[in-house]
Amino acid sequence: MYDKIFPPKKMVLPSGKVVLEKRSRTPLILLILIAATVLSVNFTGFSLPLLFTRIDKFFSLIGDMIPPKWSYMSALWNALFATLQMSLLGSVVGAVLAVPFAVLASSNIIRNKTVVAVFKIILSLLRTLPTLVTALIATFIFGLGPMAGVVAILLFTLSYVGKLLYEQIENAEMGSFEAMEAAGMTRVQAFRYAIMPQVFPGYLSTSLFCFEGNVRYAAILGYVGAGGVGLLINENLGWRDYPRVGMIILALIVTVYLIEAVSEHFRKRLI
Amino acid sequence: MIEFINVEKTYPNGTAALKNINLKIEQGEFVAVIGLSGAGKSTLIRCINRMHDITGGQLNVDDVDVSKLRGKQIRKFRRRIGMIFQSFNLVTRMSVIKNVLVSFVPDLPAWRKLTGFFTKEQKIKALEALDKVGILDKAYVRVDQLSGGQQQRVALARTLAQSPDIILADEPIASLDPVTAKMVMDDFKRINRELNISVIMNIHHVEIALEYADRIIGIRQGEIVFDGESGKVTRDILNDIYGGRTDEWKSSAEETPAHVR
Amino acid sequence: MTEVEKQLHASPRNYRYIAVVTLLVLVLFGWSLLVVNFRDVNAGGFKIALNILKGIVTPDPDLLFNVTKQSVLYLLAETVAIAFLGTIVGAVLSVPLAFLAASNLVPKPVSWLTRLLLIVIRTIPALVYGLIFIRVSGLGPFAGVLTIGLTSIGMLAKLYVDAIEELDTKVLESMTSIGCTTFEKIRYGIFPQLLSIFLSVTIYRFDMNMREASILGLVGAGGIGAPLIFAMNSYKWHQVGSLLIGLVVLILIIELISNKLRAKLVKG
Repeated sequence: MYDKIFPPKKMVLPSGKVVLEKRSRTPLILLILIAATVLSVNFTGFSLPLLFTRIDKFFSLIGDMIPPKWSYMSALWNALFATLQMSLLGSVVGAVLAVPFAVLASSNIIRNKTVVAVFKIILSLLRTLPTLVTALIATFIFGLGPMAGVVAILLFTLSYVGKLLYEQIENAEMGSFEAMEAAGMTRVQAFRYAIMPQVFPGYLSTSLFCFEGNVRYAAILGYVGAGGVGLLINENLGWRDYPRVGMIILALIVTVYLIEAVSEHFRKRLI
Repeated sequence: MIEFINVEKTYPNGTAALKNINLKIEQGEFVAVIGLSGAGKSTLIRCINRMHDITGGQLNVDDVDVSKLRGKQIRKFRRRIGMIFQSFNLVTRMSVIKNVLVSFVPDLPAWRKLTGFFTKEQKIKALEALDKVGILDKAYVRVDQLSGGQQQRVALARTLAQSPDIILADEPIASLDPVTAKMVMDDFKRINRELNISVIMNIHHVEIALEYADRIIGIRQGEIVFDGESGKVTRDILNDIYGGRTDEWKSSAEETPAHVR
Repeated sequence: MTEVEKQLHASPRNYRYIAVVTLLVLVLFGWSLLVVNFRDVNAGGFKIALNILKGIVTPDPDLLFNVTKQSVLYLLAETVAIAFLGTIVGAVLSVPLAFLAASNLVPKPVSWLTRLLLIVIRTIPALVYGLIFIRVSGLGPFAGVLTIGLTSIGMLAKLYVDAIEELDTKVLESMTSIGCTTFEKIRYGIFPQLLSIFLSVTIYRFDMNMREASILGLVGAGGIGAPLIFAMNSYKWHQVGSLLIGLVVLILIIELISNKLRAKLVKG
């Protein structure tokens, strides 16, 4: 369609041959991007001058967090553990539940097109809801505390791992699956022996990666009252006790770093 | 004309890559350099456009002493020499024609260099080069969608766009299947004949070397052990070049059985 | 021993390793179960869930469709704007950081330090940034843009660094043989390779930022979050319904567009 408005350029070679070169789409893309930027700046009140004059506040706040209040650490352990428990439980149960969902959403395993479509939509919807929103709703249903956080993380993990899993299942090599069905195995058995070995390392790797991210999310969930470190962050920011906030962040950084290191180690072995 | 006079190249740790090289290659010759892996074929070729430096002797290309060139002069010097690599060395995410246009980049004024706007004449020259290797119809296709043989021809077109006097080729057909390899060698031969460009090629495929090249240079352990017409190469000469390791240039040796561990 | 028996003895013995790891995981899982408690689940909870569902199927049409400052459409547009600008800010900041963190471009100490900095930036929860930036730029969407900018750096820089470290440097060899200067090699050899990957990663991040931007309202940084929490706290389920529907529809649309764009970038 673009070619109808801007017809391709004609280039004639000395040998007489004619080549048509399509005009570059780049100018149009740049135009759209600039328009979007201008609109967004208007909508949000983005202002570079304001940023530059007030940016020192940002750094001074950060400065107040260092040095962190080491003594606060002992009070932190419970919340830290709660955060870890929350993310571990949510991730594990979510990853386990993801398997039946993913299988039911794979078009090459389930012949019924409506079933496949329904489950794909369910997974998509679950992924679209921001974790905080689900956590918020969960606090209304399950009450304040880590349980709500577990539910929110569970739903997110289910959708994330589930989507990647069914994509992998659909891309799996089907030859061995068909051979097993032909040899008289049921679909479930054929799935277990033909498809699962192919997708299992990827599944474990994705679940680990999701767990890594969930630990960081769990820290925030406390803000809506879903337990964990987030509540403490909120409190201390409210009291302007920045050294405590700094301590919390430090503890978080160390924890996340450790988890990521362990997770990377295992994920490398899986690939 | 390329002239090697008593050229030698020794690495700082003492290994001698090239010893006692004396060669004269006239404009328009088609030369194939053969020998064992690691004998020094690659080093020899890369000394010509100063991708490697020599440690002794003199190397002249059209009466220019290559080792005396500095900085900008080296770059200007290299414009006249095209190089083809075993792994094609193209930017796979770009289209074919953009890859060929890269050879014009050093000649662009600064503002064109920054924006990537090439002149119409340059685009036409690039398309002509593509036409000469027979892939004009693929001009706007992304390189990673082409086969190995087609990609090597794009590399060849890129070299032709430079209008070089000499083309150096480092194992150009090693990654290609036999049929495509023959097509690419035909291209080399045609370019050598029609445009009188010297072609100096590094190749371990002896039958193809003998079939296409006019002159064969055999290297063993950094020294030239044979330099003559391809018609004059006998089995004994080949044994000499490959040091009795006929398994190197025949089909690959059998593998000994091993317990899987 | 026969050949077959020899082969049997040569097979790799992974079982012990897998057993230990599985045991560890089970222990951790058991520990984490301690956090489960259904005590706080009251009967009221299920009623609320039902109400939310009812609210979703009978949304407040007035809120959904009018175009005043309070309406869903305006809030969604604001959310998109926050996500868009925030992604750009994040990308602009991430590019130099990524180059400083790439082990194939800078000496080891520099890359190690930069990676440490990136880990710190990544771990600070988004809400902390949000609350800090509110003090810098006041309540409202501007703070949201800055927050999203900083939180994007974590993922963007990591993926940019992956792209930089997987650069195909063989192309540079052929550019040297053509006689190109270093600048030319960067502009025509490295830049084209990186551009399409950077674009693809950035678009993916914009997709995710859409979700984050909607949450920021919870701290007063603009977007749909604040009205949502008000509506929930006031038990106005119809409004909750329309807000949720608007949000979900918007995110789905953006996801579709971003998937299409990224597929195009990969295939060219």
